[in-house]
Amino acid sequence: MALNRDKVGTSYPPYTYEVAREKIREYATALGETDPRYFSDGDDCVAPPTFAACFTLTKGGEAAFADPELGTHTTLVHGSQRYAFGDRPMRPGDTLVCTPRIADISDRGSNEFLVIEVDCRFADTDELACRSEATIVFLGSAERDGQEGAA
Amino acid sequence: MSEVTVGTQLPTIEQRATLTTSVMYAGASGDMNPLHYDEGFAADVSPTGGIIAHGMFSMGLASRVLTGFVDGPEDVLEIQVRFTRPWPLGTTSTFGGKVSAIEDGVATVELHGTNESGDRILRGKGRVRV
Repeated sequence: MALNRDKVGTSYPPYTYEVAREKIREYATALGETDPRYFSDGDDCVAPPTFAACFTLTKGGEAAFADPELGTHTTLVHGSQRYAFGDRPMRPGDTLVCTPRIADISDRGSNEFLVIEVDCRFADTDELACRSEATIVFLGSAERDGQEGAA
Repeated sequence: MSEVTVGTQLPTIEQRATLTTSVMYAGASGDMNPLHYDEGFAADVSPTGGIIAHGMFSMGLASRVLTGFVDGPEDVLEIQVRFTRPWPLGTTSTFGGKVSAIEDGVATVELHGTNESGDRILRGKGRVRV
């Protein structure tokens, strides 16, 4: 079944994420990072850019995937990802308010492309921490010539 | 940092994908899709028939190319990538980048991740303060 295009523009309720020092350390270790600030116990501790994956992908997609009106299915791949950052880096103790939104639905051949945007702001100042755009490719579900996709 | 001009090549990073790197990335990122660590599950659903690394692991390494080139994460304004091929465990990929434009103190970097056969597993772009 094809994704419901009427859902483009839909925002889901915001969720919060608290940036933790040990989580930054764990994420930096998994990437083989060497910048000592990722491992610092001091005020200079900062998160690497794609640390945003920890709170924008699984958590960011949860509401959309749980929305019965959107009609997602599980035959999918992560097609592309974009992060745009604000002026303030993410540090331990920061609380982020993250709002997911269906930014776009399109198709090419038998595949559908769902773009989930997550707008993440610092809870204390409302400044942008990052904006995530994940393109999820749903394989085989596009409607062609009025027919259901092949898969 | 030495002078940056259009055409400047960024230092590359080589990484072998293993079950250990995959399990560590799954735990760290919270992406517990078994495609990235469960052989039986991967045999049924993987495009390669085997376990493949997280796309986001490859993006993280492309991001390391950027942060290693500038002074750190504060100088990264944007990063975007397309995952163009799966990255099977047991294979090594090389991540690098090249400055394609500089304007108002911001460099655009074309990013790539390349497998052992020379095929691109990732293509992307970063914008960094220089």
